[in-house]
Amino acid sequence: MLEIKDLSKSYGDVLALDRFSLDLKKGEVLGLLGPNGAGKTTLISILAGTLGDFTGSVTFLGRNLFADRELKSRLGIVPQDMAFYEELSAMDNMLFWGGLYETSRAGLKRRAAELLDLVGLGARAREPVKAYSGGMKRRLNTAIGLLHKPDLLLLDEPTVGIDVQAKVSILDLIRDVGAAGTAVIFTTHQLAEVETTCSRIAIMDHGRILAQGSLDQLVRIVGERDIVEIMGEFAAAAFSEAVQDLTGERVELLSAGDGLASLAVRDTAEIPKIMDRLFRRRLAVTDMKIKSPSLETVFLKLTGRTLRD
Amino acid sequence: MRRLLLVLRNDVRRHLKSPAAILIYIAIPMVMTALIGIIFAPRTEESTLPPIRVVLVDHDKNLASRLLLGAFDADEVKKMLEVTVSDEAEGRRRMEKGQASAIVIIPEKFTLDLLDARTTVLTVVKNPAEQFLPDVVEEFMNTMAVMLSGAVQAFAAEARGIRAMLDAPVESIPWEALGPELGRAQKKIVAVRKYLDPLLIGIKAEEAKAAGAKTLFTQRDLFSIMLPGMAIMFLLFIVQTLMRDIISERQDGKLRRMMTTPLRPLELVGARLAGGWVMGLAILMVMVALGSLIFRAEWGNLGYFLLLAAAASFWTAAFFGFFSALVKNRNQAGALGAPIILAFSLFGGSMMNPEAMPKAFKAVGILTPNRWFIDGAALVRDGRFPLAPLAVLTVSGIVLTALAVPALRRKTLV
Repeated sequence: MLEIKDLSKSYGDVLALDRFSLDLKKGEVLGLLGPNGAGKTTLISILAGTLGDFTGSVTFLGRNLFADRELKSRLGIVPQDMAFYEELSAMDNMLFWGGLYETSRAGLKRRAAELLDLVGLGARAREPVKAYSGGMKRRLNTAIGLLHKPDLLLLDEPTVGIDVQAKVSILDLIRDVGAAGTAVIFTTHQLAEVETTCSRIAIMDHGRILAQGSLDQLVRIVGERDIVEIMGEFAAAAFSEAVQDLTGERVELLSAGDGLASLAVRDTAEIPKIMDRLFRRRLAVTDMKIKSPSLETVFLKLTGRTLRD
Repeated sequence: MRRLLLVLRNDVRRHLKSPAAILIYIAIPMVMTALIGIIFAPRTEESTLPPIRVVLVDHDKNLASRLLLGAFDADEVKKMLEVTVSDEAEGRRRMEKGQASAIVIIPEKFTLDLLDARTTVLTVVKNPAEQFLPDVVEEFMNTMAVMLSGAVQAFAAEARGIRAMLDAPVESIPWEALGPELGRAQKKIVAVRKYLDPLLIGIKAEEAKAAGAKTLFTQRDLFSIMLPGMAIMFLLFIVQTLMRDIISERQDGKLRRMMTTPLRPLELVGARLAGGWVMGLAILMVMVALGSLIFRAEWGNLGYFLLLAAAASFWTAAFFGFFSALVKNRNQAGALGAPIILAFSLFGGSMMNPEAMPKAFKAVGILTPNRWFIDGAALVRDGRFPLAPLAVLTVSGIVLTALAVPALRRKTLV
């Protein structure tokens, strides 16, 4: 359904997308994970047609996405911004934004009412949106993107800054949309969201996909190892130097920062050895956690950063 | 086109849903007009007129014209009129400077025509920059015309004698003897005025065709004169507020979202310009209706005024469309927009009578929509078609639109 080939985009000297390639099938829900500046929003903006000056190609439904204007009506966008009119009611907003697509007025009203019910706003559909809570506004923002039943839905961090109830409602909606046959690309910082919602996960950084697959496939990248997270008062370089001669097949340094470092170990018996090295070098350790492999571990291994970095 | 109308309808609906800003901008000119009207309108206890300065141009230089001059010299008249005898060019120069309310022109052979019972015409040239004083002069001359006509008709036999005397050298005419005679006749003639028909002396009232706005401030009603200036000033504020939507939407992501839909940039730009125009025109007409209801302001031919209002709203929407494309954000638009509107209003005559402005101000004024709208409204009030203001506002509006459309289109590329 969607084929992205060698997409590159620069902002001056900064390469935001670096020969980015991706395929997406009908009904597939792809979670795009990446730290800030990884290129997620740039990718969504290019696909949405609001960002130019790039190289590469995007084929959607067998046609060039940027040359065929008609394809815009097959694309649904849920931007990060709350992009609607607060002085109007949810229903008025739905009718306006939906009206910009080729949709009949009667059909549009019916569909708007259905969607507002679906996201739990049916009872307050006639109230001005400015009276809504943040979560309600997010749900409306998502519903607007679905009005014209798009074949491809792009969501840019649709759950930022909302309560758990609203988050669950939006994630349920994304799953339902995927199940109904719409392909979805959904960017987020929240690992738990993609774990529960997406059929495929792609981890990107520096404008490229570092790894992609199902959650199981990704976890296997790290292997059957425990993750040791060490916190203390040390410099990144001093920590790396202290554990250098321990690293190899049994111990892998995943990341080292000032005051926080992560290692993957095949056996917990390696942990006292690591601690011994740190004490000898007089590196103060204040806390330590042992975790089982997870998407977060994979992310850490691939990017060397946590999602909040 | 369908999407253009959808955006336009949505914009109108949005502004009607939260009309506070628009209502305030409509209310302010009404309040300001009322306040200024209260302060500057003549009060009954202060109804004494200032001395009215009149330039008398005597082409006759004979008996009747001297009688007229004598009449101006009477004590009661001197309190009211300050007469200077001069030529017409000097009279017009004084009028240009605001030093004369009217010029009274006594034609050649005025005396001889009167005495021969031939109709003759006194011309009163009125200063169009003044509201009431030239009319007082005209009325005074009407009275004088009645009196002289009456005197000549009532004393036809004597007039013939006088006519014969006039063939004699001017130095030999017994002026002192004639004055009291005519003075006594005056009282009788005023009493029988309505029976004196036809009058031998006609009065031709003219307005000086002075340069610039002098021709355009002729309406007597203070409110009628003030309201167009106030209305165009606040129209600028309102349309600026409406057109700032483009900048806000660019900042808050709505523009980006619109551009992901099949809506074309040109449709969006067209909708925004048309929205500013239509809403500006509607608001202007609301101000007109309120002005008529509250202040009984006169606007003249409503069709002409509607055309003028449409041209002014068009210009304003195009200007602020272009302006919105040039500024970076809403704050910058607010910071720059208000001084621009105030400058337009100051130089264009919304804040003070253009006649009271220095020449440099007047010259700048022709670059403002305020000046053309105020001039146009004055012409419409006088029953004339405001061709020049319409042409200027429409043509410059088209030029601004031509600049605004590509600039705004670029602004939609986010």
